[in-house]
Amino acid sequence: MATIEVKNLSKSYEYYKKERGLFGSFKSFLFREKLYAEAVKEISFSINEGELVGFLGPNGAGKTTTLKMLSGILYPTAGEVKVLGFTPSKREKAYQKQFALVMGQKNQLLRDLPAIETFVLNKEIYEMPDDEFKRNLDELIELFEIKDILDIQVRKLSLGQRMKCELVAALLHKPKVLFLDEPTIGLDVVAQKKIRDFIKKYNQEKKTAIILTSHYMEDIRELCRRVIIINLGKIIYDGNLEDLIRKYAPHKVLTVTFNEGGASREQIEKYGEIAEYNPYGCVIKTPRSEAKNTAVALLSSDLPVDDILIDEVEIDDVVRQIFNR
Amino acid sequence: MKKFLTIIKAFWQRALTYRFTVIAYRIGEMGEIVVLILMWTAIYGTQEVIKGFTLPEMITYILAGNLFHVMVRNFLSTVVAGDIKEGQLSMFLIKPMSYFSYILAREIGRISLATILSVISQFIVISFFLNVFIWNFDSVYLLVIFIMLVLAFVTELLLSYLVGLIAFWTDEVDGLYRTIERVEKFFSGGYFPLSILPAGFVNASFLLPFAYSFYVPAQLYLKKIDLATGLKGILVQLAWIVLLYGLVRVVWERGLRKYEGIGI
Ligand SMILES: Nc1ncnc2c1ncn2[C@@H]1O[C@H](COP(=O)(O)OP(=O)(O)OP(=O)(O)O)[C@@H](O)[C@H]1O
Ligand SMILES: [Mg+2]
Repeated sequence: MATIEVKNLSKSYEYYKKERGLFGSFKSFLFREKLYAEAVKEISFSINEGELVGFLGPNGAGKTTTLKMLSGILYPTAGEVKVLGFTPSKREKAYQKQFALVMGQKNQLLRDLPAIETFVLNKEIYEMPDDEFKRNLDELIELFEIKDILDIQVRKLSLGQRMKCELVAALLHKPKVLFLDEPTIGLDVVAQKKIRDFIKKYNQEKKTAIILTSHYMEDIRELCRRVIIINLGKIIYDGNLEDLIRKYAPHKVLTVTFNEGGASREQIEKYGEIAEYNPYGCVIKTPRSEAKNTAVALLSSDLPVDDILIDEVEIDDVVRQIFNR
Repeated sequence: MKKFLTIIKAFWQRALTYRFTVIAYRIGEMGEIVVLILMWTAIYGTQEVIKGFTLPEMITYILAGNLFHVMVRNFLSTVVAGDIKEGQLSMFLIKPMSYFSYILAREIGRISLATILSVISQFIVISFFLNVFIWNFDSVYLLVIFIMLVLAFVTELLLSYLVGLIAFWTDEVDGLYRTIERVEKFFSGGYFPLSILPAGFVNASFLLPFAYSFYVPAQLYLKKIDLATGLKGILVQLAWIVLLYGLVRVVWERGLRKYEGIGI
């Protein structure tokens, strides 16, 4: 049986329309029009033990809503969710002790106290035996290199340090399932990389099933074999990341460097669509099947070619293209 | 049980990091009471008795009543409302501990330092007025007062929690809370002894839960209420606790359904 099993899951939010302006405000004060926002529409997927799946989609696509239903915060409007055999919305303790949710935009650490206090608190809340707690904590402290910041008030930590501590707080009870909602949001590239390395290592060592959402394609590229793409509440792709690129990116890119006097735009144009240009280097898009031939043609031409790199299109571009359809 | 102690300890520590704020509040509290006493002294002027209170009795009413009040009060509603409004409640809903238990332990940890300091500061104020303060060492009365205060503490917790839960239905709760606070203080006898008002009013407030945090224990202390009435009051308190607990359960269930978005 799959670790996470989602069938025809839907969620609508109920909200009230508020009209613009003062008059509108009065009007909606007297009578309000009820509206429904369909945030998630009949999505289905299943995820196995140890899988690390990237959950992609533009703002408002329904990612957080889905993760909240998987954690039992929100009650589904329709459809079925099973995680580790449990129905999350029942909020059974046995389930709650086996998963964790980390939201980059919300924190569980007590801001006015050192992180270690939250860890101790979680030990009691999750009813961990002393020795197990100590073992897990030591391991995580080492993995995250947070020994030196344990005793500093959380509000005095940098965002990156805080995020590390958030993850430690969420992982102390060794969850079998982990939901990460934009864990790298707002972090600099170095901190992002650290969090990423950590997630990777944790996933490999513990065989934890992880769903990760992020707007940083670097996160997805480095961590996720499989991606689920959601837009306007519907799944539009579920599968391999590489297949995705092959399927949706009919182009490859050639990065060409020139030496000597360089080359003019006109001279290059006939080889393909120019994505970037300056006299000493350019980026050309060519159909996937033509890439090799184009490279050969360029090399055998009389242009002063110094070097050619053939690459896949940036995954950002692929995803942007999919979102825009 | 260890859960509770750990939470209480953590929030004790948090309170200690804000010790200056906590102390600053106490100075304001002390000042307010002194002003109240000065005001009554001026009102009495040459009069011996007003509505059955001599000036020393009135001063003792204010001092003892405030002492009792600081022991039983809490600030839970804003905490609960904040958690709901900011969505921080989500982070508790996914934990294997009930929010109610967590928040109670947290509030006890949070206010205990303030409570201890308030009790000390009330005694300091009392020490200014030693020449007029009326002492009562009748152990039976003190026992009844003690039980009443314990029950009042529980009642106040349930009430504040209930008020905090209003945030499930509306975002704008601050004004509402201030109003409820004032009504509560009025009915508790915190502004002046309720017996100044018509008898029907006093009888009604015996049936409400508020007077047991101030007026009733203060009057018991002054022996202006007899033990039998005090014991009856305890029964009323017990009834309120049962009722409020039931209400909390229902309101929480319904609020949570809204929070989770059930039934759409
Ligand atoms: N409490 C709410 N009431 C009404 N509508 C809501 C509520 N929360 C979310 N929505 C709507 O549901 C849709 C999905 O929101 P959700 O937060 O799941 O998106 P997301 O994919 O996580 O986006 P982002 O990348 O910006 O975090 C959005 O259109 C949003 O406006
Ligand atoms: Mg989101």
